[in-house]
Amino acid sequence: MPKRKLDPLPSTAFQILLSLAGEDLHGYGIMRQVAEQTDGRMRLGPGTLYSSIQTLLEEKLIEEVDRREDARPGQERRRYYRLTSAGRKLARSEAERLADLLRPARAKKILRGDYV
Amino acid sequence: MSEKIYALLLRLFPSHFREAYGEEALLLFRDRARDERGFVGTVWLWLDLLTDLAFSVPAEYFRVQPALIGAPNLRRVNGMPLFFILEGQAPRFGALLLGCVFTLGAVGTISILLTQVGTYRTFRPWTFQPQHAGSAPSSAFNPSAAQRVGDAQRESRSPQGSANSAGSLNPEDSEPADSQSNGLLIEDGAESSRLQPQPSRAQNAVASTNRAMNRGATLDAAERHRVIVGAIVTLKEHYIFPDMARKMAGALLAHEKSGDDDAATDGRAFAALLTRQMREVNPDKHLELVYSQDPLPQRIGEPSAEGLARYREAMKEQNCTFEKVKVLPRNIGYLKLNSFPDPSVCRQIATAAMASLNHADAIIFDLRDNRGGEPEMVAVMAAYLFDHPEYWYNPRENTTQQSWTHSPVPGNKLADKPVYILTSARTFSGAEQFCYDLKMLKRATLIGETTGGGAHAGVFHRIDEHFGVGIPEVNPINPYSNTDWAETGVEPDIKVKAADALETAVKLAQSKLAKK
Repeated sequence: MPKRKLDPLPSTAFQILLSLAGEDLHGYGIMRQVAEQTDGRMRLGPGTLYSSIQTLLEEKLIEEVDRREDARPGQERRRYYRLTSAGRKLARSEAERLADLLRPARAKKILRGDYV
Repeated sequence: MSEKIYALLLRLFPSHFREAYGEEALLLFRDRARDERGFVGTVWLWLDLLTDLAFSVPAEYFRVQPALIGAPNLRRVNGMPLFFILEGQAPRFGALLLGCVFTLGAVGTISILLTQVGTYRTFRPWTFQPQHAGSAPSSAFNPSAAQRVGDAQRESRSPQGSANSAGSLNPEDSEPADSQSNGLLIEDGAESSRLQPQPSRAQNAVASTNRAMNRGATLDAAERHRVIVGAIVTLKEHYIFPDMARKMAGALLAHEKSGDDDAATDGRAFAALLTRQMREVNPDKHLELVYSQDPLPQRIGEPSAEGLARYREAMKEQNCTFEKVKVLPRNIGYLKLNSFPDPSVCRQIATAAMASLNHADAIIFDLRDNRGGEPEMVAVMAAYLFDHPEYWYNPRENTTQQSWTHSPVPGNKLADKPVYILTSARTFSGAEQFCYDLKMLKRATLIGETTGGGAHAGVFHRIDEHFGVGIPEVNPINPYSNTDWAETGVEPDIKVKAADALETAVKLAQSKLAKK
C-alpha cells in the first residue's frame, strides 16, 4: 500500500479537519475557525491553506460543495468544503492518538487542570 | 493597491495552483484585508502573507501532480493506451522563445565541449611529458587524432622543408604505427625540442593547422618586419653563440632592406625564407623559424598525473612497444622495438626483454618502425652492448657525466656479440641516435634505408600568435663529426629496402656466426 501523504497528519490538516467538523466553510471561514480554535496561534496564509485543502481533497478527506443557497447575489462565488466520513474518521483517530499521548502525561501529573 | 500586489505575488505559485486556487486566495486576501484594518492589522496581515508565501511556494513546486501519480495505473483502458495531456493550451510564445534560447545554449555548449575534448585528447600526449620527442605516447593515446595531424603535416609542410623529414612523411607510409607517430613530427626546429616544454607549442601549432587548413594568411611588410624583429630578439636572447646571433640578425635585416622578403606573403613561405637566410650565415640545422596557421598557445600545461597514468596504461597495453622479442634459428636474438619508452615506466620490461636475449650469439634490433622516444631509454638499451662505459652522444644535451653508458650491465653477455640494426626512412629521432652512435662507435651494422633525420636540439620560442623559432640552446660534444644526422638521416652500412632488411641481417649474422 502506498504511503499516504497525510501520514502522519500535519497539524494544519488536523486543524482544518476540526474546523469543518461543525459546519461547511469556505477558505476564509476555515482560516478564521482555525485561528479561533487555536486561540490565534495558528494563522493560515492562503498558500498554506489552499495547499492543505488540495491535499485533503486529493485524499478525499474533505469535499467541495456547491454554492450555498444563501449566497447573496452579487457576492463572489465561494467554494465551500465539507468533511467526508473518512475525514471525520481520520480526525477522530488523530484526536484519540493525541489523547493517548496525553494520558501518561496526565498520569505523571505534568498536566495541570482538568484537561481531557 | 495591496490587492494588486498580492495578485502579482500569487504569480509566484505554479500554474496548476493558480488555476485551482488563485481566485480563492485572492478572495481570502480581500476578506482579511477587509477585516484586519489599521496599521498593526495591515502589518500583521502582510507578515502572515509573506511568511506563508515563503513556505508554500516552494512546497507547491515540489508537489507531484495527481495526474502524474496515477498515470502508470491508467495507461490502458480496454486495451487502448491512454495519454495524459498536462496542458490543454498551446505553450505561450514566451515559453517557446525561452525554449529556443535554452536549446541553442545547450547545443552550443555541447559542441564547444566536443571540440575541447577532442583538442584535449590530441594534445594530451605532448603536454603530459613534454620531453617526449618520440612517438610512443601519442600513438598509444589517440592514433586517429595523431593520424589526422600527420596528414595535416603532410599538407602543411613548407615547400622547402628538409628533404629528409619530408621523406619521413612519405605519404605511402600507411602502417598505423608510423602514421600515428607522424603526429609528433613537426617542422624540424619544432619537433626538436626535447627537454623543454616549449616545443609542444609548436607541436600543438602544427596539430592545429589541421583545423585551420583552409584559412589563408597574407603578410604585409609591417607584419614581416614584426616577425623579423621578434626573431632577432629571440635569437639574441637565446642563441648560444651571441656573435652568431648578431650575424644572423644583420642578415635578416639586410635581406628585408634589399626587398628579398617582399614576395613572401604566405606565412609558411616567409618562415622558410627566414630560416634559409639564417642558415646562410650560420649553417645550424637545428635552427628554424616556424609558422603555424593556428594561434600558438601562450603557454602549455604541466604534465598531469592523469596523463602519466594514461601513458602507463598505454605502455602496459603495448608491452612498452617491445613488439617482438624472440630467438631466431642459429641463436640470433631479435628485438622489434617501436619506440624508446620512458624508463621510469618501462625499465622492467626492457630489462626482461634483454635478459631473454642474453644468451643469443648475435642480436638484431629492428627499429624500422621506431619513431624515437626517451634518450634515457636509448642509453639504457645501448648499455647492454658495451662492457665499459662508452661516451654516448646526445645532440640535445650538453656533455656531462651522464653522457656515458652505464656499462657493463650486471650479468649481461651481449657486450661482445655482433649487433645488427634494421632501419627504414621512418626510423626517427631517438631511434636515429641509437643507430648513429652505435654506427660511429662501430658497434653495430646498420641495414636498411637512410633514417628520417630528426636530431632536433632546438627549444621552441614563441614570437607571436603564428610565428616561433626553434633555437638550439646546448652545445654537446660530437666526437665524430661536426654534423650529426639532423635532416640528412643516418646512412645504413648496407643499403637494402626496409622490407628486405631482416632477411639480409639474418643472412649476415648467420654467415658471421658460421665463420666462428
